[in-house]
Amino acid sequence: MAEGPLSGIRVFDLTLAMVGPWASMQLGAMGADVIHIEQPDQRPGAFMVPPTINGTSIGYISWNMNKRGMTIDLKSPEGRANAYELLKTCDVFLMNMRPDVAARLGVDYETVAQINPRIVYCTVTGWGQTGPMRELPGADGQVQYFTGGSDANGAEGESGEIYRHSTQFDSTTGNYACMSILMALVGRKKTGKGQRIDISMLKATTAMQTPRIAEYLMSKQSPTRLGNKAQSTAPDRAFPTADRRELGVSATSEEEWQALCKAIGHLEFLEDPRFATNTDRVDHRDELYAALDPIFASMPLDYWVLELNKVGVPNGRAMRWDEIRHNDQVLENNYIGPVETKDWGKVWTSMGPWHFSNTPTRWFRTPAIGEHNDEILEEIEAHRAGQSSQPAGRGQ
Amino acid sequence: MAGPLEGFRVIELAEGVAGPYCGSALGDAGADVIKIEKPAGDRARGWGSRAKGDLGAVFQSINRSTRSIALDPDSAEGAAIVKKLIAGADVVVADAGFTKHPDLQPEALLAAQPKLIYVNLTEFGEEGPQANLPPYGELVAQLASEATTSLGNIGEATVRLGNDNASMYAGIFATQAICAALFAVDQQGGQKIDVSLFGAMLFMRSTLWVALSNPDFWWGFHLDSYVKPPEYGYMCSDGAIMLSLNGVTQEQRDAIYKEFDMEWVRDDPMFKMFNEDTAGVGRYAHVVRPLWDKGLSKFPMDHVITKMRELGGQAWPKNTYEMMVNSDQVKFIKMVQPVETPEGPLDQMVPPWEFADTPAEIQRPAPRLGEHAADVLTEAGFTAAEVAAFKSRGVLANT
Repeated sequence: MAEGPLSGIRVFDLTLAMVGPWASMQLGAMGADVIHIEQPDQRPGAFMVPPTINGTSIGYISWNMNKRGMTIDLKSPEGRANAYELLKTCDVFLMNMRPDVAARLGVDYETVAQINPRIVYCTVTGWGQTGPMRELPGADGQVQYFTGGSDANGAEGESGEIYRHSTQFDSTTGNYACMSILMALVGRKKTGKGQRIDISMLKATTAMQTPRIAEYLMSKQSPTRLGNKAQSTAPDRAFPTADRRELGVSATSEEEWQALCKAIGHLEFLEDPRFATNTDRVDHRDELYAALDPIFASMPLDYWVLELNKVGVPNGRAMRWDEIRHNDQVLENNYIGPVETKDWGKVWTSMGPWHFSNTPTRWFRTPAIGEHNDEILEEIEAHRAGQSSQPAGRGQ
Repeated sequence: MAGPLEGFRVIELAEGVAGPYCGSALGDAGADVIKIEKPAGDRARGWGSRAKGDLGAVFQSINRSTRSIALDPDSAEGAAIVKKLIAGADVVVADAGFTKHPDLQPEALLAAQPKLIYVNLTEFGEEGPQANLPPYGELVAQLASEATTSLGNIGEATVRLGNDNASMYAGIFATQAICAALFAVDQQGGQKIDVSLFGAMLFMRSTLWVALSNPDFWWGFHLDSYVKPPEYGYMCSDGAIMLSLNGVTQEQRDAIYKEFDMEWVRDDPMFKMFNEDTAGVGRYAHVVRPLWDKGLSKFPMDHVITKMRELGGQAWPKNTYEMMVNSDQVKFIKMVQPVETPEGPLDQMVPPWEFADTPAEIQRPAPRLGEHAADVLTEAGFTAAEVAAFKSRGVLANT
């Protein structure tokens, strides 16, 4: 059977809450053997996040899929010895705790790199390893406010508002942690050596905001709130339709603008100097939308979807979960699928954002805390006795 | 080493945001990224402020560390050039439908180059009734993934995310997938990878899909983001802050009321709810927020932030980009640095990863249209006479 692209890679996953677990969950989906290490005396922070089912939190159940679960007391000599033996067989070390915690638990970079020089060692912090904010905690809300992310969203005339699905900057950071680990694994094929990587929520989440921040850096103007209009392209917004719904239209190339004018039967717009180029249309945004609004308001949403699809203008409508769950486009692309869990029964979740033609990904349930202790301890003992089928750094 | 991806070559047949951001990230990490543009250039070239020459801010920021060659990939000669460039490359990242030329379709390329990694960027995926649409609908993906339900007020006009989340996430996931496939290519061969804006958003919002699986109780920010009003922050005398009292004890709460002259709140009919609810993401936080605003608006935000932190709460400034860029932390870690461009230095954010041994960095500013055509073609084995002939016949645009 074809395996994921990271089959053969083993991850020492010393993560909690969301940022770290989100990154290692992706590595697990790609076929890595991710061993989620938890302290026996530690109630994971993600256990607090509501809602719960049977006492298990949404955060824990949905961010720790694709892993094996193990508890190790890193403060005890025996636990630490087991961890070090396990580290000899790992390719990746991932942690999202403060640097002083790593030293206290005996898994600082110097120690780990001495045990296994091939290991890719990635730590994730809120604000960076240095600077006046290095000790401060970071999570989605704080980062949305501090980075200016919340200032970029909002209705016209209002001040900026939070994106209330308050996990997106955690998972954004996890995405970059996963990306950087993959880059380092590729680099290791040539150098034969692992290396240390630092990821911060500050740098990762501002990287995701690159286009808006670049606009500020060049113009020195912070964005104003535009409701559902785009900052730098037009026409690019949601138009009310005759049936009191909203049609999203993004015509962001000249070809798409010409096709749009044709579809709505207003070729005279193409002669109008105010609308000649995207820059002109952005500069005359209010006049452009004043001209387009009554046109889109004259026919129902489905009419416009049909007409705009014919000519290749990107468009679409809002869906809600109950529709997404049964949508042909979602199901035929296997974007959403069921996972059987212990505490939550069958849940529906994403099957990942990438489809590999040759190295399929996989998706399986979050383990119970320490669920795989016995089998991993056996593997550790076998390795110690020199009988392991998994030599040190079995990844390439 | 210039970065962990030094030695790999990438051909980018993409425009807008998703594909270029992927190419630029690979370039920052050391890959040699050749951006193929149509004669009219990337649609994003003029996006954003154009304070510095012809290149817009958006284009500059997500096309750095790449080289540009401009031609018509649908023409016979253009397609032949692109095919030869791909023959010398490890990776292609392409928008669905960027070129119709049969020789440049993924099946043909993968048949000729079994170790090629080909990323097909789409709006909605490769299957289904909306298969293989090009990845240019940022708002379209936000609406389809119901991301807009986490913003604005129910019943009012939709509010979109101010950032290009769907496009940027698709670019990030394409970059991840390319690295994973490069890691596996020696054992498992090349392959085609599909990444879509819609699929990216569905993955990023997956916590919600799980949360909707019949939970014990219907609240928590994973669920009530659907029904809460906009959260603008807590008002101080000179600006808004974020406030969270998660985990704060009753003793600490009492000290906070005293510190901010809010003892009057004990006489308010809503005091019980106020005293028990967690400010910020609490279930009733939006209901009791006016009480906080009334108390805190007498004090400047720096004072509130300092005192709140001392007393066990979480408080953060609600920054604009200007405030963030000029903050002590951002300056200390040198997150914004000037890049030399023909129009003079241009501030850009450094790459988000810090690799200890293979430092990734901005390799070059965003290219002018067709700027590197001669270099790229010469490296690919075309003779100077051939390049000159391409130029004189107009095969290479803007040279």
